Amino acid sequence: MKSLLVGFLLILPLAAADDDSFLIRGATVHPVASAEIQNGSVLVQNGKIVGIGRNIAAPKGTRIVEGKGLHVYPGMIDSATEMGLSEIGAVRESVDVGEIGKFDPQLRAEIAINPSSEHIPVTRANGITSVIAMPMSAGGGGGFGRGGGGSIITGQAALVHLDGWTWEEMEIKKSAGMGMRFPIIPPPPGRFFGADFPGAKTFTESKKDYETELRELKEFFENARRYQKAKAAKEKGFQTDLKYEAMLPVLEGKEPLIVMASRERAIRDAVQFADQQKVRVIIADPRELGKMGTELKSRNIPAILGPTLALPLHEDDPYDAAYTLPDQFYKAGVKFAFGSFDNQFARDLPYQAAMAVAFGLPVDEAVKAVTLNAAQIWGVADRIGSIEEGKSADLMVTDGDPLEAKTQVKLLYIKGKTVDLDNRHKRLYEKYLNRP
Amino acid sequence: MKRLPILVLLMASALFAAPPGAIAIHNARVIPVSGPAIAKGTVVLRNGLIEAVGADVTVPADAWVIEGDGLTVYPGLIDALSTFGLPDAAPAPSGGGARGATPQPATPAPAQPAAPPARGPEDRPFTTSWLKAADLVKPTDRRLESVRAEGYTTAVTFPNHGIFAGQGAIVNLAGETSGAMVVAEGAGQYLTFTTTPGFGGGFPNSLMGVLAYVRQVYLDADHYKQAKQFYAAHSRGTPRPEFDRALEGVLESSRVLLPATRRVEVDRLLRFANELHVEALLYGLPEGYRSADLLKNAAATALVSLKWPEKAKDSDPEEPDSIRVLEVRDHAPSTPAVLARSGVRFALYSGGIDRRADLFKAVKRAIDAGLAPEDALRAMTLTPAEIYGVADRLGSIEKGKIANLVVTKGDLFVDKTEVKYVFVDGVKFEPVEEPPPAKPGAPEASNPGENQ
Amino acid sequence: MKFACCRRSWASFWLAPLTSRRLVLLFATSLAAATPPIVIQNATILTVTKGTLNGSVLIRDGKIAEVGEKIMVPADAKVIDASGQFVMPGIIDCHSHIAADSINEGSVSVSSMVGIEDVLNPDDISIYRAVAGGVTTANILHGSANSIGGKCTVIKLRWGKDAHDMIFQGALPGIKFALGENPKRAGNPTGQRIGAGNVQGRYPATRMGVEDVIREAFNEAKVYQQSWKDYNEKIAQGEQPAAPRRDLKLEPLVEVLEGKRLVHAHCYRADEILMLLRVADDYGFKIRTLQHVLEGYKVAKEIAAHGAGASTFSDWWAYKLEAFDAIPYNAAIMTRKGVLVSLNSDSDELMRHLNDEAAKTMKYGGLNETEALSLVTINPAKQLMIDNRVGSIEVGKDADLTIFDKHPLSNYAKVEKVFIDGQLYFDRASDLADRPERETEKKKLMDKEKEEQKKNAPVGRGRPAA
Repeated sequence: MKSLLVGFLLILPLAAADDDSFLIRGATVHPVASAEIQNGSVLVQNGKIVGIGRNIAAPKGTRIVEGKGLHVYPGMIDSATEMGLSEIGAVRESVDVGEIGKFDPQLRAEIAINPSSEHIPVTRANGITSVIAMPMSAGGGGGFGRGGGGSIITGQAALVHLDGWTWEEMEIKKSAGMGMRFPIIPPPPGRFFGADFPGAKTFTESKKDYETELRELKEFFENARRYQKAKAAKEKGFQTDLKYEAMLPVLEGKEPLIVMASRERAIRDAVQFADQQKVRVIIADPRELGKMGTELKSRNIPAILGPTLALPLHEDDPYDAAYTLPDQFYKAGVKFAFGSFDNQFARDLPYQAAMAVAFGLPVDEAVKAVTLNAAQIWGVADRIGSIEEGKSADLMVTDGDPLEAKTQVKLLYIKGKTVDLDNRHKRLYEKYLNRP
Repeated sequence: MKRLPILVLLMASALFAAPPGAIAIHNARVIPVSGPAIAKGTVVLRNGLIEAVGADVTVPADAWVIEGDGLTVYPGLIDALSTFGLPDAAPAPSGGGARGATPQPATPAPAQPAAPPARGPEDRPFTTSWLKAADLVKPTDRRLESVRAEGYTTAVTFPNHGIFAGQGAIVNLAGETSGAMVVAEGAGQYLTFTTTPGFGGGFPNSLMGVLAYVRQVYLDADHYKQAKQFYAAHSRGTPRPEFDRALEGVLESSRVLLPATRRVEVDRLLRFANELHVEALLYGLPEGYRSADLLKNAAATALVSLKWPEKAKDSDPEEPDSIRVLEVRDHAPSTPAVLARSGVRFALYSGGIDRRADLFKAVKRAIDAGLAPEDALRAMTLTPAEIYGVADRLGSIEKGKIANLVVTKGDLFVDKTEVKYVFVDGVKFEPVEEPPPAKPGAPEASNPGENQ
Repeated sequence: MKFACCRRSWASFWLAPLTSRRLVLLFATSLAAATPPIVIQNATILTVTKGTLNGSVLIRDGKIAEVGEKIMVPADAKVIDASGQFVMPGIIDCHSHIAADSINEGSVSVSSMVGIEDVLNPDDISIYRAVAGGVTTANILHGSANSIGGKCTVIKLRWGKDAHDMIFQGALPGIKFALGENPKRAGNPTGQRIGAGNVQGRYPATRMGVEDVIREAFNEAKVYQQSWKDYNEKIAQGEQPAAPRRDLKLEPLVEVLEGKRLVHAHCYRADEILMLLRVADDYGFKIRTLQHVLEGYKVAKEIAAHGAGASTFSDWWAYKLEAFDAIPYNAAIMTRKGVLVSLNSDSDELMRHLNDEAAKTMKYGGLNETEALSLVTINPAKQLMIDNRVGSIEVGKDADLTIFDKHPLSNYAKVEKVFIDGQLYFDRASDLADRPERETEKKKLMDKEKEEQKKNAPVGRGRPAA
């Protein structure tokens, strides 16, 4: 009972102001933005990185963290999650991932993030310090039976730190991008339980649906633009519309569309759409690249790669098709970051990256794809994603390569504050390991 | 020698009884199938039977003569697995509660069984094993005219809905009455692997469940037989075994027809039949080309559907089929050739193709893939007759056999060949090429071997 | 998408379901029966049971003939230089649903009459993909929709062979049980309280009912068992009694009672785990493995006492309510408390990197390398009672070997070669080399079909109405 009580206290975010200044020394520092430093130091003051190098002098009285034998990395960023929006996948009451309605740009993931979610301490215990929490569409990959079937514009994704008493305190960027599922012609459903999939549509029917959705999407954008003009013109009788209002940053190119597009056709469509609408897009969860490499590169369109640990799309695809996809993106010169597109497996983000390394991706690129690339894609590279002076002290200290499962995360800092690595799992572990 | 004007002959085709006297096809090329071709021969038909065939046969004095110059006479084709003759194909499956239920009319029923979901094998789901094609066949099946135009004179026809769908019969594809069409019954029990869709329906809802059910039914049938025998010997003092028409139907069928599309199914079902101690005919076989070793080792017989697998018409051009699927579609027509080379006994069946041009094209594809034309012909005539034990009556042009013939101008299975006459039980038909247009709203009969 | 057990795979719902077909141009898997011996040399050999050494493995007649730092290379041997590479026993997955044409007979609460062996499908591409992940043996289980499910079969992943030739001959057959949310869900699909409205469903709808279904079934099985005993006794006494009806549902349960069939029970919560152990105790049989057993760590003591094995996930949790107390330390705690533990996949995908799953137990609970590797090799072999044949690199065992380019507990490792019975079933170099040819072959078939379609357009059906 006592140990349980102690555990409970330990998970409370530590808010002591004097905690956010310290010097880690004698560690191998992996700044990501530059070459690794053996026997290096990182100086943190008031939550910011102020020094990095071999011989860093710390002001007198600075707390010293001995890093001998340890490695310091920037905290990892998971570029697509349901963090805080979903607690137990199959319990509908605990899931706030997909809303009803086709066009929901006004929805904000940030305000639905439950800072007390058990997933937060579980995820950060593996070195993940910030995540994108994203509204998703049940019809387009947001999972099965999660409500909100068939949304096209799903709402605003938030970039948050995995620490804070409230979602406001967690916030890095309240609206990092606008979630969107690009309309698709679904692949033939095949067989379900050995019988034909109930209610399966023919290709012609599916194509018709797809064309309808494309038309609706275009209309929605046209309406948003008319609204934009009306607002700019300060027309008489102009009334605020929350949906169109939320679209303005997208139309102005300030906020990217995070477009879920798995198949080559959807990626092609999305790129074309971006050209036509002159909006910024990020391709999310692509499962193949096909001929789209140059298209993406030439337009500087980045991608959030979904799980590397995935099956090939087609029977005839090479068995390692999903494993080699990150390397294909790398070779094509497309900027990418990894996202777990999940909750329970968010902590396995580094292993998604590691499998890509096993199949060709240079290890430095894999690390970037869970740190600096993500920060760049989300437009916060001035604040997080690498160990550089002036950035937020989001640091993980490990006893080895963080992409290896056997590696332990020893210490974790978010905004310079020591983060408790305890969580529900460790508490249950300790409780039951000690069961007499 | 009387020579009747053509007009009279045409009138004869309107009658379903063999005309009085004899018909002689004189000086035609005759392909008896059971023996070598006769370059110039005569076939004499009388009382619905073949009275004589040969190069030196004298035309009887009372015969109506068809001059055979430029014509070829073949045995009538036999559709080795069919629903031809069953106008509504079959009654719908029973979802359960079949035992002791009132007989269902032989009419199309809605796809969803009205019976409560079956709770297990004891409820005899999807079972109408007692149904007999011989009882259900009707000369009014609208398809008969067009399939005769393909050269078919006989079909081995089966009720085709359900796991134990019912018992087949060998029927001639014309007749004044239902009874007149039946050549023989007891062609076998037709099985399909029907399941309830999704969860929550009755048993079985998986292929595993179907196979377990079939296995249990055979065990039950065996037990039922013993129990009945025991009861017959010890009626007094023994509780009477409950009458089970599902098992009665199974016990009546010495032969089962099992659907086998892929090699794995050939393998699976040959083992299964062996385990159940039943004679099995595997049907479908688009992957027969890669299953010949299995069939040969088991000395099995295959019924190969001529409806070769095709690319789905309404498919996404950006979703190519897998190489395996492409290969099957490419190689399937080579199945008969491979089976012939491997010494596997096989018959070809129409798979529901009811247009001559389509049927001939389908056979032609098998021939192009290496099947000898004479093997193709045999697989559509004498071999099916042998398989079903009616080779003493059907399948070749021999004295005493039923007068089922196809008379063509040109070789069978050649595109331009014209089917001039078809004789069924000695009655002459002149083919009408086009099938009659379907009545609006009329249900389309499904055919065995499709969608397997 | 298989409705097998648990995990909601992200986006799997709408991605193209993979058809189950075999690759055509597979490199030669079928070395002739009288193959020359093979020597894998200069490798780091992780025997799992006999330590780790740098040396060679000699394969002869499908068996491991010699393992050592220096061995004599037979003159006729084919030599594989595995310098810098790691040889481990072929991975064994104690819970898989690949290679079967159907998985769940979900209609009835007790579906023990059905069996996976009837529907094994050797054309399932997942077999090849699993081999490419180093797996050589898998326990193919019925789904979890029924309190007592169907019969299970252990197979070797002999890709390219017919169904029957994949079966692991000599392995005891199994049967699936399932507790908790899955078997009761079919009874209560809406989640409403039974009796609260128009909820009609299949019994059971509660964990109480699940226990009852199992007890009822074994009660029935005992009566059935007795009826045959009585019958056989009468036969032995020269009588001619009427034979009882054979019941395919009850026969496997009698086999369970007689210890001839292994019970693999899907379970999550501690209460239901304990319930099943006690039911088994009452009826005098053993639970061979508890599958998933995500709260096994809470009742590890009781599991160990019963002698049940536990086959669990590395780190799955929170996908449903009964998985909310799941912890990644489960395998470690149970191991420490004396339970025989394995890690399984229950997934076509996860199956391809069970070595990575094993590595997680080093992080969560501090298992050592050998303990971690055991979770996917010798331990599942013991659970399936095939450890005399597979699960470690020992002389006399089947030559089921996986060669990795790096230590298999590294997430950077990938499989280079896989042997089953001494035959090469996967070779990465060949797989890579064959890819262009397969693409050409496919294109040829597609082009040919287009030509044929023009030529053979059917005239029947679908013609414009006159």
